[in-house]
Amino acid sequence: MKLHCQDITRLDCLRVLNGRQKGLEQLRQSELVVIGGTGFVGTWIAEMVAALNDEYQFGISLSLISRSTDQFRSRLPHLANRADIKLIKSDVRQLGKFPMEADWVIHAATNPDVRTHASNPLDTASVIVDGTMSVVKTAERLSRLKKLLYLSSGLVCGAQPALVNGLAENAPGAPPPDASFMYPNAKRFAETICSAARAQSRIPVLVARPFSFIGPYQSLDTPWAQTTFLADALRGKAIRVLGDGQVVRSYLYGSDAAFWFLKIVSTGESGDVVNVGSPVGVTLQDLAKEVAKNFNPSPEIMFNTSPRNIGKSAHLLPDTTHAKNKYELSVFTPLEDAIKLTAQWHLIQSK
Amino acid sequence: MNDRRIIISDPTLRDGNHAVRHELSVEQIAAYCKAADAAGVSIVEVGHGNGLGASSLQLGEARTPDHLALSTARANLTKSKLGIHVIPGFATIERDLKPALELGVDVVRVASHCTEADICERHIGFARSMGVEVWGCLMMSHMISPALLLEQARKMESYGAEGVVFMDSAGHYLPDDVRQRVELLASELSIAVGFHGHNNLGLAIANTIAAADAGATLLDACARGFGAGAGNTQIEVLVAVLERLGYSTGINLYKILDAADLAEKTLMKEVPTIKSVSVVSGMAGVFSGFMRPVTRIAQEFNLDPRDIFFELGRRKIVAGQEDIILEVAKDLALRATKGNQ
Repeated sequence: MKLHCQDITRLDCLRVLNGRQKGLEQLRQSELVVIGGTGFVGTWIAEMVAALNDEYQFGISLSLISRSTDQFRSRLPHLANRADIKLIKSDVRQLGKFPMEADWVIHAATNPDVRTHASNPLDTASVIVDGTMSVVKTAERLSRLKKLLYLSSGLVCGAQPALVNGLAENAPGAPPPDASFMYPNAKRFAETICSAARAQSRIPVLVARPFSFIGPYQSLDTPWAQTTFLADALRGKAIRVLGDGQVVRSYLYGSDAAFWFLKIVSTGESGDVVNVGSPVGVTLQDLAKEVAKNFNPSPEIMFNTSPRNIGKSAHLLPDTTHAKNKYELSVFTPLEDAIKLTAQWHLIQSK
Repeated sequence: MNDRRIIISDPTLRDGNHAVRHELSVEQIAAYCKAADAAGVSIVEVGHGNGLGASSLQLGEARTPDHLALSTARANLTKSKLGIHVIPGFATIERDLKPALELGVDVVRVASHCTEADICERHIGFARSMGVEVWGCLMMSHMISPALLLEQARKMESYGAEGVVFMDSAGHYLPDDVRQRVELLASELSIAVGFHGHNNLGLAIANTIAAADAGATLLDACARGFGAGAGNTQIEVLVAVLERLGYSTGINLYKILDAADLAEKTLMKEVPTIKSVSVVSGMAGVFSGFMRPVTRIAQEFNLDPRDIFFELGRRKIVAGQEDIILEVAKDLALRATKGNQ
């Protein structure tokens, strides 16, 4: 039987839900709005909602708000044409047409592309800061709102100190006040806006701090390690690792992340801050090897090493103790499987 | 003993083209490529002095068009990689870069003025998406502070560059300037750092060694220093010095000496020397490639070329603004005339 891309993503959602859907009961027959809903996170939430509605009859109405609804419609008709998913074209900074019956709002609008952060830091800041201001102002008018979840960034606490295993939610660091760090600084300020909205307007808002993700729907032209390694391998070229490969990152699979966000928004308490990511670190060298395993012939792995960076092992991992203890969240898709599924999805997609 | 590996990129057939008004022929390209390949040079850069797609009336028409230069080089390089210098604006993706990659280019060096890294995003992204090695180059880097240079280098890194080379296009740096910049870039970036020197103040080798000592792993150098103005870092000397210092370049010393001899005999009308105007252009911080047009225009207007260089430096003129040389000469000539009246 020919496997389609959407078969992979549906199976991923069902594998993650398998019994855990009980933890999402509060979402039944409710209205969920995802702002910035056509990106990686929004698309996976749409997949998860579709699976909950089709397989567990949750009856969730989902609205995805984005500037890119046209592309979403042509790229993903299996989601865009569903009766339970509504697409609303709007910029986060001018939320004119907002579903006023919303019970849950997830604010995921951002541009995670580091190229845009570098070339256009002011617009990066505007989308994040002005966008969040616009979201909390809109939230003030939602009479049924149960929870607003703001997706911040794992980068808001700055660099991970060498002797720390993972960055906790209350880590004391901060990114340097420099244009190169506009994205995390803007995210940090947006968290402050959320906190002010809670204090001043009693908006029930909580914060999720995403770290790194992997999976279908992640564009391979973004210059991140996991996407460039996959892109190199898919082209049949050598995988080129920048640095000596000792940088440590962790990756949470798309369906896992979608479940985490839905669990946090539906069961979390206002004011909470939760790291979202995998606590299982992997060096970029091992990540490259893991990607290479999925291709035949296995691509060569090359390193591009600046001598000053040899042995300079930069970690960025979340401490997910809070997510585990309070929300019973863990990694459902091991990295090995995550890479295999992602490679398989892209291979089908490229055909 | 230092066992660090250095990658040497040799722009003899690109930067050297400036020195002969972009007149390098197919035969010259073939001969030097063979010699550099035999010597084990990591990357041989080929093309018009201002890079791919730059052959024009304003910048000088190349005797050998890009496609011929690249296919000739490709046919004569077996171990060495084939590199190109790409300045967005001169080189477009569809017209120039795509055909160049189809001819077998291995390394694309996308260059911009040191404050304009933004213009490189699409070219770096395209080359990266085609699976070739991509470096970013920041030209005239002496014109900005180390902190601003880092800011621009970070942009190139974010676009997908796998190395960043900062260029001393005017031959203006002192070794400490280079060391300071390399240390900052190498400690803040996760990609390789490189240096491209010019010899206006006689410091190309010293500056390049300072770069290596501070952590640069990508070094540019040309046979006999064949390049714009006073020339570049001299490859055969650099290889020898690096060998003495314990660096590994993978280059055979005798064979690179042979390649340099061949280059002197077959490529050059004159071996680069530090002429008085070169010292002035280095002091003024003006692009080395301006030496020929400045000298020519100075003669035409009966001016001292040194005055033109200092005025160009004062106006912070950069490569690609060659037409300003004429404007400056006219202004200086007018001032001289008024002064005499």
